[in-house]
Amino acid sequence: MSSVETITQTRAETASGDNPVIRVETVSKLFRTPGEGAIRALQEISLTIRYGEFVTVVGPSGCGKSTLIKLIAGFSPPSSGRILFQGDEVRGLNTRVGYVPQESKLFPWLTVEENVGFGLDSKRFSRPERERQVSQFIKLAGLAGFEKYYPAQLSGGMSKRASIMRALAYEPPVILMDEPFGPLDAQTRMVLQDELLKIWEQKRQTIVFVTHDLVEAVALADRVVVMTHRPGKIKDIIDVPMARPRNIFEIHRQEGFDEAYGRLWNIFRHELKLRSH
Amino acid sequence: MSKDVSQEHSEIGSAQDQDDVVLKREAGFNLRGLRITLLRFGIVGGFLLLWQIASGRWIEPFLISSPSRIFASLITGFQSGDLLQHTWVTFTEIAIGFPAGAITGIALGYWFGRSRVLAEIFEPIIIALNGIPRTALAPLFIVWLGIGIWSKVGVVFLLTFFLNFFNTYTGMRQMDQEYVDLARLMRVRGLKLTFRVILPAISPYVFTGIRTSIPFSVIGAIVGEFIAATEGVGFFIRLSAGIFRTADVFVGIIVLMFMVIIMDRIAGMVEKRVLRWQTQSEHVGVQG
Repeated sequence: MSSVETITQTRAETASGDNPVIRVETVSKLFRTPGEGAIRALQEISLTIRYGEFVTVVGPSGCGKSTLIKLIAGFSPPSSGRILFQGDEVRGLNTRVGYVPQESKLFPWLTVEENVGFGLDSKRFSRPERERQVSQFIKLAGLAGFEKYYPAQLSGGMSKRASIMRALAYEPPVILMDEPFGPLDAQTRMVLQDELLKIWEQKRQTIVFVTHDLVEAVALADRVVVMTHRPGKIKDIIDVPMARPRNIFEIHRQEGFDEAYGRLWNIFRHELKLRSH
Repeated sequence: MSKDVSQEHSEIGSAQDQDDVVLKREAGFNLRGLRITLLRFGIVGGFLLLWQIASGRWIEPFLISSPSRIFASLITGFQSGDLLQHTWVTFTEIAIGFPAGAITGIALGYWFGRSRVLAEIFEPIIIALNGIPRTALAPLFIVWLGIGIWSKVGVVFLLTFFLNFFNTYTGMRQMDQEYVDLARLMRVRGLKLTFRVILPAISPYVFTGIRTSIPFSVIGAIVGEFIAATEGVGFFIRLSAGIFRTADVFVGIIVLMFMVIIMDRIAGMVEKRVLRWQTQSEHVGVQG
């Protein structure tokens, strides 16, 4: 059964002690653009992410935070430096991560159920296992009753949920999320943040979550990676020692939030001042 | 308490009223649709009537024939079995050439789309070949394949192939690469990647290719039959025109028209079924 597999996997991970799941070593990334010539999107980024951690990456738009997780996913290679994933250097697509893109990017020609089950390999999951897994994750996302719907028939929030479930369902050890809640309205956002935390508290997969929203960054994370504007560098990494489970809807009242948010805001205020000069 | 209930009722009542208004508006829309249909039939009927009156009175019948004569020829043509045989021959040419051309075009378009090297080598060559007016090649097919059905199958194939190839290839180039990346990230490869991701992603383009190539496949068959043939609707039209049996020329044209309409309807039905995941609402309200 798949849950057994996950447990053995987790045990193997804890056995390996402090071994990080992702290790970004002095990675830079250059882009060639027709107008401005070469753009340095990332400059000598070094970052270590441990198993089971919820890390958010926050920074102003255009700071290269999306580029960073795209490199971890192996969509393109770094210009210099290297990325180790479970000890192996990432070369080509990293099929050990799940990826939730900015727009939902559900396959529009597949139903909700087919989308969620898309990554469930027939070698790893037998048909009944697959069906169980899909219906479990559909229920988890509150999409029961919508299994046969096509993405075009879903609301923005629903397709977002389905998109996240598609990445979670096949249980990759790491999930990369690229501003997944960006285009949603404030209420839907909070509901989805809450759901994501609940699911994560059950499954404890490693999550790297990119956002430009400071509250979201603090509310979800164990650690917040703060990036600066182009060329993207890591300015600071803030620990968020808030207790879990967290109540997203009253996150402001939770102990430790103000302190972490204050530190984050100080860094950003500094950034803003620098740029207004 | 009872006051609350009555208030609730009145609210429901007002919502009901609004729904009624909406329904009435939609009914009005249907009435409009009916008017348009009637108008359309009126125009076509008026044209046929004018044609019937003009024929023999103002214009020589051997030039334009007349609806009644054409209808009579259509009946006798099918009764004698002659026309049926010609139709069957043309249909066979299309039934072989069209699917073969479409499948080859789609497959090659897909293959070129997947392989950058192949595309880089062949793209200019194919564009150059596309510059040739393809019906000009029809006489060559007669030389190569004789005056039987195979030369016409060849022309049908050629015309269908290019349209399907270009549409599929365009689809491959326009396709959102992120779908493929996402699928590959989920370890999806090979046949599953092709049939569950790439082909569905480009299917709107593929169907555009198929549907635009339908009338061209019929053109291919007819052009082939015009040049050299002993059977087929194209042969029948040319023969009839040669002996001034104008009504029969129109009969041939009507047969071809229905051939295209039927093929297009079938393709349209398949398209609707395959692309049912697309929102229909996109097509609403374009023409105010």
